[in-house]
Amino acid sequence: MFLEIKDLSVKIENKNILKNLNLNINKGEVHAIMGPNGSGKSTLANVLAGKEDYEILNGKINFKENNLFDLNIEERAQEGMFLAFQYPVEIPGVNITPFLHSAINSKRKRMKEEEIDNLSFAKLLKSKASDLGINIDMLKRSVNTGFSGGEKKRYEILQMSILNPDLAILDETDSGLDIDALKIVTDGVNKLKTKDNSFLIITHYQKLLDYIKPDYVHVMVNGSIVKSGSSEIAAEIENDGFQKFQ
Amino acid sequence: MNIQDNYQINKKNIFFSENENIRNHREKLMNIFENDRFDKKNNESLKNINLENFLDFKYKYLVPEETSVINNNHDNSYSIVSVNGQCTSFKDDKIEITKILEEDYNDFSKNNTIEKNDHFVNLNSLFLNCGFKIVVKKNNNIKIKISNIVADDDLTIFQKNNIICEEGSSLNLIEEYENKNNSTSNILNVIKLEKSSQLNHFLIQDNSPSHNLIITSHSSCKKDSSYTQKIYNFSEGYVRNFHFSELLEINSAADLQGIFFLKDNNISNNKTFVKHLAEDCKSNQVYKGILNDRSKATYFSNTHVDQVAQKTEGYQLSKGILLSDNASYFSKPELKIYADDVKCSHGSTIGPIDENAIFYLRSRGMSKIAATKLLISSFINEELSSIDEEQISEIIQKKLVRYLSKVK
Repeated sequence: MFLEIKDLSVKIENKNILKNLNLNINKGEVHAIMGPNGSGKSTLANVLAGKEDYEILNGKINFKENNLFDLNIEERAQEGMFLAFQYPVEIPGVNITPFLHSAINSKRKRMKEEEIDNLSFAKLLKSKASDLGINIDMLKRSVNTGFSGGEKKRYEILQMSILNPDLAILDETDSGLDIDALKIVTDGVNKLKTKDNSFLIITHYQKLLDYIKPDYVHVMVNGSIVKSGSSEIAAEIENDGFQKFQ
Repeated sequence: MNIQDNYQINKKNIFFSENENIRNHREKLMNIFENDRFDKKNNESLKNINLENFLDFKYKYLVPEETSVINNNHDNSYSIVSVNGQCTSFKDDKIEITKILEEDYNDFSKNNTIEKNDHFVNLNSLFLNCGFKIVVKKNNNIKIKISNIVADDDLTIFQKNNIICEEGSSLNLIEEYENKNNSTSNILNVIKLEKSSQLNHFLIQDNSPSHNLIITSHSSCKKDSSYTQKIYNFSEGYVRNFHFSELLEINSAADLQGIFFLKDNNISNNKTFVKHLAEDCKSNQVYKGILNDRSKATYFSNTHVDQVAQKTEGYQLSKGILLSDNASYFSKPELKIYADDVKCSHGSTIGPIDENAIFYLRSRGMSKIAATKLLISSFINEELSSIDEEQISEIIQKKLVRYLSKVK
């Protein structure tokens, strides 16, 4: 199993958010989690990425044969986990290019691969940015600073394509995107899909799933997955809402 | 020993003690100390420090054996090694350097912008033992680098400098303070910018824990002139930076900036004050601090806009990062506006490093310590990237790397 989440319960500030959640993802699969506001979708994404604000009450998570809780935030990233943030943080003064260069090399170092030099990285970045319709001038700017909502999401996908993760978690990547931006972003995701990597897509709406075809759709309500199945569930939700699952 | 006795014993070594006017002025200053008239409680310069350590001192001053001024005509630059606050006299067609004279002292004592209750400035006037005057002659564009060296242990340096930029001149002044001995330097700079002149003043402060540095400056700007001051404080000893600017005539500008990097038990007190006294003038006061361990800092800024100073633009900003729960930074911006057509603002943000930004960077594979260091560097990125002088930029980068190496 690539990612195995078993009986996971999590709380924050005395509020139980995830309750005995179970989810298995195999290599090469695309899973979508849909759910109403406050159902715990983003908490799941943050817990997977290692955010330290949460208290794990019970359960376990295995990722690529590792106990995920034994890995800190950066080790998870270096092992191939990537979270595309719902609200990417603005970091004035941190230039995109050296930051991404440093990020890719920290991963390669852990994987005992040769570090990528400045010139090769510049070429890689330029080509990936071009694929995503990102202006080269944007790469001279600070991380997410002064970006529009669409630019931030596009930049998240650029980072994903550079870091080439084994498991990418997309937390409401579609929110705040117009239809053209949504198409560019989802094209970027589809280009990355291989039989060796997996995706966990968190969304409210079916629209995103029109562009990225999931193998499985899960409905999450009140901290648990209440239904799993094929992409037909997404259409069901689009028609009837989440009411009937609650 | 009280101030009076200290003065009487050492007056032979103190500048101008034979001059009657100056003696009278000093009598008045001594009365202030004797009568304890200054307000300790509300005096910003006294926050976080033990005043007694500075008042009860053993006076010691040594006349240096040699100082030097090297003129490099090739690129209009001068290198000065000032030892114990003294500098060799020098004159060419672009600059003139002399000792300070009695008339310069009188000039200082009549200066109304100098705070009368600032006991550090009063101590400076009482025990004055060194200082020099630099005049940049009309329409010259030059660069001066001064290495301020204190050559012995336990010295008490009381120094007044006078810097004059004549009409149309331009000066890049780089001052380095890197002293490793157990001494105290109390320096007052009085800076005058004549019409259409420009002074870019960089102060790099990097003293050891046992060296105290107290710098006060008063700059005044005439028509179309500008004074820019950039301070980089990496000192491990106490530093006080108090800087005042008067915009006397139309279209003049003052830009007072500082960055300080504190750790251990270090303390830094900072103050900037700009007085707008004419129309169409601009000012900027920006201080940023990074505080680790149990370090403490204060920063007071003030923009005063006189009623005649219409079309003023005045900005103040204070920002601080606290790397430890035990560090503290107290900041107080003030605006006093008596004109009605002005653009002024002030702001202050102090807090720990942004945990969301740390999480974001770590989620891309960067270690916590690397992310923290990156965010500290980014906090001052704007100030560092705006340094035009490559030489200064390299020095600051090295000192920043040294500071960051201690951040855990």
